[in-house]
Amino acid sequence: MSRATIAPDRRAEVAPAGRTGPRERARLSGDGLAGYLFLSPWIIGIVLLTLGPMVTSLYLSFTDYDLFNAPTWIGLENYQRMFTDARWLRSVQVTAIYVALAVPIKLAAALAVAMLLNSKRAGQGFYRAAFYGPSLIGGSVGVAIVWKMMFSDDSVVDQVLLKFGIDTGGWAGNPDFSLMMLVLLATWQLGAPMVIFLAGLKQVPRELYEAAEVDGAGRARRFWSITLPMISPVLFFNLLLETINAFQVFTSAYVVGGPNGQPAGSTLFYTIYLFDRGFGDYRMGYASAMAWMLLLGVGLVTVFLFRTARGWVFYSGDSGDKR
Amino acid sequence: MGALKRFRVLATSMVALLAVACGGGGGGGDETQAGPATLRFSWWGNAERAELMQKAIDLFQSKNPEIKVTPSFQEFEAYWQKMATETAGGNAPDVLQMDFAYIREYSERNALYDLKKQEGKNLELGDLLTGLKGAGEIDGKLYGVPTGGNTWGYIYDPALFAQAGVEEPKEGWTWDDYRDAMKTIAEKTGVSGGGNYVGSYYNLELQLRQEGGLLYTEDGKLGFDKARLKEFMEEGKALADGKTVLPIEKGVQIKPAFALEQKLVAGDLGWDNFMSRYAKSNPGLKLGPVPTDKAGTSGQYLKPSMLLSVSQKTEHPAAAAKLVSFMVNDPEVGKIFGANRGLPPTNAQRAAAQLEGPLAAVAAYEDALKDKFGKTPPAPPKGAGTLEQAFIRITEELQYGRITPDQAVDQFFTEAEETLGS
Repeated sequence: MSRATIAPDRRAEVAPAGRTGPRERARLSGDGLAGYLFLSPWIIGIVLLTLGPMVTSLYLSFTDYDLFNAPTWIGLENYQRMFTDARWLRSVQVTAIYVALAVPIKLAAALAVAMLLNSKRAGQGFYRAAFYGPSLIGGSVGVAIVWKMMFSDDSVVDQVLLKFGIDTGGWAGNPDFSLMMLVLLATWQLGAPMVIFLAGLKQVPRELYEAAEVDGAGRARRFWSITLPMISPVLFFNLLLETINAFQVFTSAYVVGGPNGQPAGSTLFYTIYLFDRGFGDYRMGYASAMAWMLLLGVGLVTVFLFRTARGWVFYSGDSGDKR
Repeated sequence: MGALKRFRVLATSMVALLAVACGGGGGGGDETQAGPATLRFSWWGNAERAELMQKAIDLFQSKNPEIKVTPSFQEFEAYWQKMATETAGGNAPDVLQMDFAYIREYSERNALYDLKKQEGKNLELGDLLTGLKGAGEIDGKLYGVPTGGNTWGYIYDPALFAQAGVEEPKEGWTWDDYRDAMKTIAEKTGVSGGGNYVGSYYNLELQLRQEGGLLYTEDGKLGFDKARLKEFMEEGKALADGKTVLPIEKGVQIKPAFALEQKLVAGDLGWDNFMSRYAKSNPGLKLGPVPTDKAGTSGQYLKPSMLLSVSQKTEHPAAAAKLVSFMVNDPEVGKIFGANRGLPPTNAQRAAAQLEGPLAAVAAYEDALKDKFGKTPPAPPKGAGTLEQAFIRITEELQYGRITPDQAVDQFFTEAEETLGS
């Protein structure tokens, strides 16, 4: 807008004939217009593909909608029904357990690998790529199928465990282990948080370690007192991202457990149940309500994490006595 | 110059595009007069079926040069997700493959065209096998034409029966004989006697029909009470606990393969046309009579394995009906498909199909049963697909020992009430 007023001559050149007032003309002219044009793919995208469907879904969540007939308004019924729906409660439970297991295990593994790779040794580039690799393919259907086969009766995992005298049978068919199998699949894809941890570790000043060493601090002490506090912003960032991601796990769970969350409902994730209700049972209103509940739940967890972050995340520039 | 001018051009062309996309409009005119048309045709299946389908479509187009067919396919589950969204979006294909479990659901939702209007004009139905005639009819309207039929039968491996010293099933064997046979085989050979017996509600249907009942009544209610279901659940639980049938954790792991395919069981009740699939890896299999406690009443019927329906919103009902008619009547098509869609639905196609090996066995099996088949039940109520899934899910938990038979019965009835009630 301001640019347009600087160049009145150009505005005159393209001003359309007609009733448009001067303000209108200014908006549509020259650079302003070009700006909007360049923005338009994003604006169209967000309005048509994100905002539109979101508003629709919010409306549908208060209706009984079976995809074929027009939705009928039923108020909060969908939301109320969830709390007496045994499968909904199960899906919340499964998802909560998964998040509580997968996120810490994956972050711990990513941090451990990042620390191993944060030293100057030959072939670092190769190892970094090798550890990042699974993140590129891990979310695919193919890998999930292979994963399920690896954890079936008499397959690799079963046989290796038997060598150590542990007889669990195939994890894929055992409701007590099937979720753990998916936790391991997530952990295997530790590439993204690992790279971020690595960047964080590089930022920790060497002098701190040297000083600590002079004072006689051991490895563990250095880790707890220097590394962790220094990378806490990165840790927090990873924690947020991974938590939000973990709530939305779908592909691998669908391949392993199908719409029923086999075996015996042990992999009935929230997203799987949502999908099954919407596209399997054609209860789109209920599925929409579930989607909004998920958003609410993830939002609450995120707020909670931000609250706790005040106690343990230190940004450089914070002085110690502020704590 | 003018960015605005460019913008106007862009806007105009976009409006034009939208107009084209939303356009179309009513076909109008005589519904039975087939003119030039392009039909969208969707089905579920795999690459193998797609190849056969393409051959049949090519043949249809060469005989009806004014009609063009554009096909698309998905596997079963994805197919129904796509159909649901396309139908909801008013964008359903002209001709679509239909499952018996969904036909009422789609017709009640006004998604299907009444083919009665085309019968005798563009659609020939006279040659359909007795059990399949009228199978796609609901409340006097014709919403689908079967393209294949199959029946619930007993498929078994005679070698394992011999190894265990158990007599092969013969006409008139009872449910007790059946359970004893499974038990003896499991004990003597180490191979499970049967598959997921309690997980299939078609086993329950078979028993109900033998007792003179139905799985779903004419008015779309459950055809059995809690006590009857409990009996079935307890029976299934006993078979699972006694390790007579394949352990559920094994069945879950081999999915989507079948136990008979992997030689994990000595026999199983199931759709007879699956023989062709099992026989690829397990060629010694045979088809036998189903157990019954009422001699002479097997409870079996000819079920449409799949149907073809025409979308309510099609602009070319006459051309669509022609395609459907061609798919069920043309002998060449019967030859192309063999038993891929179930056994061919019409006498002409069955004669042309030249079935060999295991498929010939299936055809002979159905032929022998022809006069004993009971009446094909009414199309299952809306939500039957959901309930079948619930049955699978609940019986799985039962076999894992997570719930008791009583809880299983209660869960199923709760879900049935929710699903059928609304």
